[in-house]
Amino acid sequence: MNNNSLITANNVSYKINENKLFHNLSFSVNKGEALHICGENGSGKSTLIRIILGLTNQTKGEIINQSLNKICYLGHKNALKNYLTLEDNIALMELDTHKNLMQYVDILNLKKHLDLTVSSLSFGQQKKLALLRVFLNQSDLLVLDEPYVGLDNNTHLILTNFLKNELEINKSIIFTSHIQCDIESNILEINR
Amino acid sequence: MKILKLELLKLRKKTRSWLGPILVFWLIMIAYPLTVEFLQEKLEIGFFSVLWIAILISMMLAAEDIFTEDFNDGTLEQMMIKSSPFSILVSIKTLTYWMLIGVPISVLSFIFSFGTTENFSLSLMILPLSLISSYIFLNLFVLGNALSLNKGSVLGALITMPLALPVLIVLGKSLTAIQLDINFISFILLLLGCLSIIMVAIPLVVSYIIKAHLE
Repeated sequence: MNNNSLITANNVSYKINENKLFHNLSFSVNKGEALHICGENGSGKSTLIRIILGLTNQTKGEIINQSLNKICYLGHKNALKNYLTLEDNIALMELDTHKNLMQYVDILNLKKHLDLTVSSLSFGQQKKLALLRVFLNQSDLLVLDEPYVGLDNNTHLILTNFLKNELEINKSIIFTSHIQCDIESNILEINR
Repeated sequence: MKILKLELLKLRKKTRSWLGPILVFWLIMIAYPLTVEFLQEKLEIGFFSVLWIAILISMMLAAEDIFTEDFNDGTLEQMMIKSSPFSILVSIKTLTYWMLIGVPISVLSFIFSFGTTENFSLSLMILPLSLISSYIFLNLFVLGNALSLNKGSVLGALITMPLALPVLIVLGKSLTAIQLDINFISFILLLLGCLSIIMVAIPLVVSYIIKAHLE
């Protein structure tokens, strides 16, 4: 096992009701590296992400997680409270005291919506709010499940540049995406 | 403390979740005298039975959506990934609900008890009984809610309701002890003993159940 490695997967398999989703996957993610998980719909990309996070148990194989700080995760569900304002949601994400908060709120065009409830925002705006968790993360490892879905071109570019910067400061990224991205990454193709 | 503050913020803004059970309790207690004659003795006969049942029902309603919303919007996944033990988070969440719902209901129990019996010392002894029993009931229904997380809260409440019956029996016996002026403290200690076991065991069990649901 490499000392530089944050996540190591050895022969990981997963099956549901005798239906193999993926079989004997092995990979590792080192510091400052990105892993792009690709595959068709239903190939098990999100399941693999959940296995890496420890939310789902693999049927076979092992995942070794050596990241010391907590993992920053952005999933299909945004973990936002519809009945709360953006400001309250930011407080719930424990980002309200972050020194760069207003800078990112401004970049993402969310400043004028701070007093509105999340339910009054569009899907894309909600996604932007959820992205604050990524932009203001203090983790070694970012795990992002389809981070580009619902984003406009401008936010797409902001996110890509941000992820490139994160790699430069030796952080690691695991992400799934259907869209070709401009991030230098190792590719893990899952085929059923 | 930080988690408690955040949970309080969430629950405070979700008025229906905390005000609903308190209003249901209040309505049951208001409705009770209307169903019997307004004679002091007649009112007192069934009052405490109604009081315990009202606390039980209110706590059942309080626990109704304790995890459902967090489960549906992905908050539970985020909590699970955090390094702090998930069972502690469950304990804090339950404590928050009890503080915002259980404590006001217990204070109302004291007020209604005094209004009905006109006996201050008796009503004062009802207060710790209400506080402890509401916390026990809430924990039991939290377990029920976790068990039936994606199947509706009624099923969970039905599963855990039998566990509340021994507590109701102890509450009845402790009231008899108060009225006969015999050792009432032993009943409080018995309830506190139950509560201490429940407070440790239920969050642990609930955290495993929720993990299984998330899988």
